[in-house]
Amino acid sequence: MSQITYRAGVDIGGTFTDIVLLGSDGSTHTKKLSSTPADYGMAIVSGLQSLLEELNATAGQVRDLTHGTTVATNTILEGKGAKTALLTTAGFRDVVEIGRLRLPTLYDLNYSKPVPLVPRRYRYEVAERLSSSGSVAMPLDEAGVVRIAQQLSSEQIESVAICLLHSYANPAHEIRIRDLLREELGTNIYLTCSHEILPEIREYERTSTTVVNAYLGPVVVGYLKSLIGKLRAIGMAGPVHIMHSNGGVMTASSVMEKPATIIESGPAAGVIAGAHVANASGYSDIITVDMGGTTAKAAMIERGQPARTTEYEVGAGINLSSKLVKGGGHAVKLPFIDVSEIGAGGGSKIRIDNGGLIQVGPESAGAVPGPVCYDAGGTTPTLTDAVLTLGYLNQRHLAGGELVINAAKARQAIETVVAKPTGVEILDAAYGVFSIAAATMTRAVKAVSTYRGRDPRDFALFAFGGNGPIVAHAIAALMDMKTVIVPPSPGVFSALGLLYSNTQHECLQTLLARLDSLHSRDLAVSLSKLATRVRQAMLAEGSTASDIDVTYALDLRYAGQAYELTVPIGSDDAGEFRIDGIADAFHREHERTYGHFSRTDSIEIVNLRASGALRSQNERSYDATPASPGNRGRAQIEPTVRTAYFGKQRGLIETPVVPRSALSSSPRRGPLIVEEYDSTCVVPPGASAVVDSNRNIVIELGA
Amino acid sequence: MNMKENVDPVTLEIVKNALGSIADEMALVILRTAYSPIVRDSMDFSTAVFDRNGRTVAQGLTLAVHLGAFPDAMRKIVSEHGESMRPGDMFLMNDPYSGGGMHLPDIYMILPIFEAERVAAFVGTIVHHADVGGAVPGSMALGATEIFQEGLRIPLVKIYEEGRPNAALFSVLEMNSRMPSQLIGDLRAQVASCKAGERGVRELLAKLGPQAFADYCEALHDYAERLARAEIASMPDGDYFYEDYIDGLGSDPTPIAFKVRVTVAGSDLVIDWTGTDKQVQGAINGPIATTNSVTYAAVRSAMGIPIPNCDGFSRALSIRAELGSIVHPEEPAACAARGVIAYRMFDVLLGAFAQIVPERMPALGEGGPSVVSFSGRERGRGWLVTDGILGSWGGRPGKDGVDGISNPLGNMANQPIELMEARLPIKVLRYELVNDSGGGGRYRGGLAIRRSYEVLSEEAQLGLRSDRRSHLASGLKGGLPGSPSLNILSRKSGEQLLDVMPLGLVTLMRGDRFTHIAPGGGGYGDPLARPARQVLEDILDGKVSKEFAEKIYGVVLKDGRSLDEFETDNLRRRLAKKSHKDRITEQLRIFLKTNSHLSYSHLIESVS
Repeated sequence: MSQITYRAGVDIGGTFTDIVLLGSDGSTHTKKLSSTPADYGMAIVSGLQSLLEELNATAGQVRDLTHGTTVATNTILEGKGAKTALLTTAGFRDVVEIGRLRLPTLYDLNYSKPVPLVPRRYRYEVAERLSSSGSVAMPLDEAGVVRIAQQLSSEQIESVAICLLHSYANPAHEIRIRDLLREELGTNIYLTCSHEILPEIREYERTSTTVVNAYLGPVVVGYLKSLIGKLRAIGMAGPVHIMHSNGGVMTASSVMEKPATIIESGPAAGVIAGAHVANASGYSDIITVDMGGTTAKAAMIERGQPARTTEYEVGAGINLSSKLVKGGGHAVKLPFIDVSEIGAGGGSKIRIDNGGLIQVGPESAGAVPGPVCYDAGGTTPTLTDAVLTLGYLNQRHLAGGELVINAAKARQAIETVVAKPTGVEILDAAYGVFSIAAATMTRAVKAVSTYRGRDPRDFALFAFGGNGPIVAHAIAALMDMKTVIVPPSPGVFSALGLLYSNTQHECLQTLLARLDSLHSRDLAVSLSKLATRVRQAMLAEGSTASDIDVTYALDLRYAGQAYELTVPIGSDDAGEFRIDGIADAFHREHERTYGHFSRTDSIEIVNLRASGALRSQNERSYDATPASPGNRGRAQIEPTVRTAYFGKQRGLIETPVVPRSALSSSPRRGPLIVEEYDSTCVVPPGASAVVDSNRNIVIELGA
Repeated sequence: MNMKENVDPVTLEIVKNALGSIADEMALVILRTAYSPIVRDSMDFSTAVFDRNGRTVAQGLTLAVHLGAFPDAMRKIVSEHGESMRPGDMFLMNDPYSGGGMHLPDIYMILPIFEAERVAAFVGTIVHHADVGGAVPGSMALGATEIFQEGLRIPLVKIYEEGRPNAALFSVLEMNSRMPSQLIGDLRAQVASCKAGERGVRELLAKLGPQAFADYCEALHDYAERLARAEIASMPDGDYFYEDYIDGLGSDPTPIAFKVRVTVAGSDLVIDWTGTDKQVQGAINGPIATTNSVTYAAVRSAMGIPIPNCDGFSRALSIRAELGSIVHPEEPAACAARGVIAYRMFDVLLGAFAQIVPERMPALGEGGPSVVSFSGRERGRGWLVTDGILGSWGGRPGKDGVDGISNPLGNMANQPIELMEARLPIKVLRYELVNDSGGGGRYRGGLAIRRSYEVLSEEAQLGLRSDRRSHLASGLKGGLPGSPSLNILSRKSGEQLLDVMPLGLVTLMRGDRFTHIAPGGGGYGDPLARPARQVLEDILDGKVSKEFAEKIYGVVLKDGRSLDEFETDNLRRRLAKKSHKDRITEQLRIFLKTNSHLSYSHLIESVS
């Protein structure tokens, strides 16, 4: 018998490290353990080893490992990046600190801007100047660069960002500076040129992205090298891939050059998993809702593809999802899966404001002290305490028995903090908190759907994360969405998603021109140059040339507008790029997104994009029916009945509590609570639930 | 916390969120699709949802100063058309004197939403349009003396009547703009925004029913009023006065005074502008809707908590201004550039509230963005760029001022230099923070911004609107004022200082260079009390010069990089005897010296 091999997915969050092994026999095995913030790699290796031991397998049987990580985000949030310097065109060293000036909050006189990642004293000016066409208006002062190199050395700078005006049009000066610094400072210093990470017009966004990359570089390189070292030491010889913010994966060595691409690595994994599982189950249009302890995140998947954005700021705290607010963090203008986040999770604190209204979040009780029911010193009730009081959660323990809780304390806190001041019954108070949390979440759902001109009623709600399946039905009801899908292992779902991610590389080049002034021939030439860059990057990762598929998109707008829409224009196979066809596609997308368009206005191109994927990965299928049960040794949940409250009209109901295995393809009427090791799913009265062939719980909310 | 019986606090919270989200969605449609540069760079537009009586229940978060922009216009619609309006009607208006508008470029569009033949709600938008005619491109001529010179006045009219577009009105609008396609494009964005708002409101109406919707709107007003009154009640009763000035208009150096009395009485607040100067022969008069807006925004900023942007918030406030004054001008006073005085009114209110709630009010900041425009003709086509050079906040209790930021009353962004250079015959030479421009204080004032340009075309016209060269951003609690603004024109023949607010355009030739230094923010608290270590950090970052550190902060360095604590203590003791006025003079001299502008030392005399 040939030996079973495994593919490993590892997702690291602030609190937990989730590991999933997918066996060549089709089995899935999961492990959740506490993260080790001092060195996140330790939890990965020890968790992997103990899971392999359970399976009587060795690390040599792990064929490859795909990793989603918050190391980049945390480095910025905690201010623990490299000691970084910036070299800019003379006269412009403050561009990165001034930013775009816009305020992220109004009426707040206490606001402070994010602290620059490179302090002013390490921002050096270089005499040189390019014009917007790329011609040299003033040659580079090379002697000046050498003098700066000496200062960098005496200041013990670890990483340097190089960003000159108009370098997207001509990278020569940046390249020369990079070479001079290499000569002077050797290979021990990390260098990032703006034309390499983002050859796009708009100096602040390009500089900020370059600085973020430089700031992260040495930390991410150190982390990945150490992780790979540890994996090799236990005998895992296969490749290590990292998920980037756009939902694809790159090899660890590519990521070491462009660490700014992995900032939203973790959230992207969950969305990609959602897209795969939903597609395989016959749903191509879904809105994912991932609700954990602190925040809830929503993303839209249309025709199987997650919606993307390049408007992102790192270190801004929670993205309040209105998309009107800007300037709270450091701009990173790279492709991201468009995830809208809101400060509502299980740990969100509840309070009553001066006007008598109940507020849920955004402050969180965190892991310590956590909700009141953890009995670890917390006195402010949280969403989890409200949900527990409603009877939705197991009254004695959470996480399959690992965490013993005190339901009476939670109930009492809800009574003191919410029920008494508002003068309502305790259950109605708890239900009010639950309803407000769901309503708050709808703002995130709207931000990715109606704000893009999409009607959420055309989508199914796909819920995961520890708390997603509890509130999903209420969110769906508020948005008039009919179907809720809860995948298997919703609590470790992001880790699973890593195993279904594909290799992906994207390159961009600014080309500022009126669309109608462009010949389709010239467009094809520019695009094929870009495609060559994509192919080179993928070949360097070991892909074979015939396997690489490159598709193109353009960033377009009506001349005079400030924002572009990205419009896909097909691939090389499509033959000629017809300018009028591109214009049509733009008019259509503009109408769809914003409700109007104008055929008489001229269209402007801002950027060209090329994205590479591997044909061989398109066939990777999803199979959630385990040939072997996996997760051996964990107690099955015994069916029981619990009294749960579903609001004034429906009242208190004796509700069956069952494991997922108790559901089948024939609909079972709610109310119903599906309790699992890593999550709890609520099926309200009036709804019905089935389990489909991929072991998803599918809830139809009914009229 | 007495809510009415038919209202429960959970649904109220949910309705409040839903209304806010509708207003935000409306704002996003405009932001993403508008053509007017002032929309994308300055967020100079607003969106709102109103109850059936036309009172604001939610407003999109775009621009702080628009908080009170709608009420007058909505009152007008309800009183004049309340009975006669029909489903499918849409209203348009821009006139400050007949319609409740602010200035002519701001075009209001309002859509009533009907439910069972009755008005159940309204949604509305305001967009600052690129050009509505008048004397100069952009419709904001500082030298205008009557509103008739400022562009097309639109009284309250229907632009759609029962769903049919008013074609005659559209063609009048189109004919009167220098940029007709931008104007029409932006009106289209406003229509799309109103439609998006209507969809959202209809969903909410369908869920609640019109009566409950009305009840919850009422409850929301009450809720905002409760929050506002609780905040006001926590302020000490009394009368508080403050005044500040703008430097003058054109070549006339007579300062224009803004005076306010704020009265706190229990949970009521009276803001009285009596004593403020008369309206002027120039386009900086602020029709009353502007004055109301600024006042709401300042009061909202002075409160310690977030309050929903709905009408109930303003119930505890009364605003008084004399008809014929610059803050309540009589027709036909010109008002296109009323932004200038809006920012000064805001400063005056911050100054008054600094006496009422000192624990959270800052020293003054730059006092509004400086606006620099270049225009010209090349190859037969006209070009225009309007560039806002933004500011700096004053020092705050417990925190330094912010270096290089938008004024809290606005929400502006800057223009990407690379895009500007790719499109226009203008080269940007420098864009940076200005050393020694932040007023000295325990908490330093924010640094000013410098922007320098070179003209690349044969000829170009420069337009300029700035302030605070003589009347600086005040410090608080012993903090020193921020640095003055400077407009410097350098030509082959030499350098000259331009007026803060020239009434006409200045002609520039190829190779001419223009530099604007915006005003710096005021300091908070005694500069000698600033920890020497923080002063050293500022020196290392090039934000404060060694001379400034020594003479203003009393901080002495040993080897250029570390503190000499002994000498610092000695020096600080000596400097403590120096008068506040002498410190201000010294600070100004150092600012000019550091930035190589000692030739303008005469400015020190005129500063007050």
